[in-house]
Amino acid sequence: MNSQAALSRELALRIGLAARALPDTDAKRLLSVLTDCIGLPITEEKIAGINLKTLKTAKAGEFLDVDEPLLTYALNILKSGLDTPPSALKQETYIDGDMPGSVRIACASNDGINVDGHFGSCSQFMIYQVSADEARLIEIRNPEIPHGLEVDDKNVFRAELIQDCQVLYIASVGGPAAAKIVKLGIHPMKLPGVETIADIIDQLQTVIAGTPPPWLAKVMGIDASDRFRFEREATG
Amino acid sequence: MALYIVEADCISCGDCEPVCPTMSITEGKVVFKIDKKTCTECEGDFDVPQCVKVCPIDNCILPLEA
Repeated sequence: MNSQAALSRELALRIGLAARALPDTDAKRLLSVLTDCIGLPITEEKIAGINLKTLKTAKAGEFLDVDEPLLTYALNILKSGLDTPPSALKQETYIDGDMPGSVRIACASNDGINVDGHFGSCSQFMIYQVSADEARLIEIRNPEIPHGLEVDDKNVFRAELIQDCQVLYIASVGGPAAAKIVKLGIHPMKLPGVETIADIIDQLQTVIAGTPPPWLAKVMGIDASDRFRFEREATG
Repeated sequence: MALYIVEADCISCGDCEPVCPTMSITEGKVVFKIDKKTCTECEGDFDVPQCVKVCPIDNCILPLEA
């Protein structure tokens, strides 16, 4: 049996998923680092022995400049697959009124780190409550349609799942689906490229702390009279 | 007769600007705005106001009370 055949299907899948979680990394690159780390054949037992430091320094520091949380996350996938959410992603409780001047956002994601999901096919919606100086991950919602439930329209089902959110970030969305999202009062934001959820939250916090555009101020529940007023333009 | 854009609802997508036959829509300081002196509600050009047709938000572009 050669080393290729020795790689179990499950392990190969994990390597592929872990590579996708890392920037500019394909399975081949990750595989070469792993080979340098633990040698061939790559087995589950040997992967379990890898820690963050060995992964970081392997192959002359190939992954030295990758963010540690991302590496930890990739390592988690390698060890246990996608089922276990990364420990860094602790969900916090949120009670209405906890964070005045906040907005609830949903991020379509496959890896839990990036906004890398298509609205109709992403594996999870990461729900955050975001104010100018705080951001809480309050829920991770699984958009799988439960067995036995008849759903007329998958996209309506998905949109209703995040109906309590004011803003939705996605990597892509189709036109008719976007219309259904807007109908439920959710503001869809299609990003020009894949960005991390952390970056998105940063940007949103800057906007909230500064002068939110009127539509955002409105969904945040800021009273019209309290909104920052630009100098009224002459209306004729 | 003219239309106006509800400031609190406009998301500044800019879709309305190029479709206006009288070039009455411009980007204002806050959101897009319609020049009520030149807006014709598309009468003579189209059956329905083009900005209302392309606007993704319901009830964002409304007739100005006379």
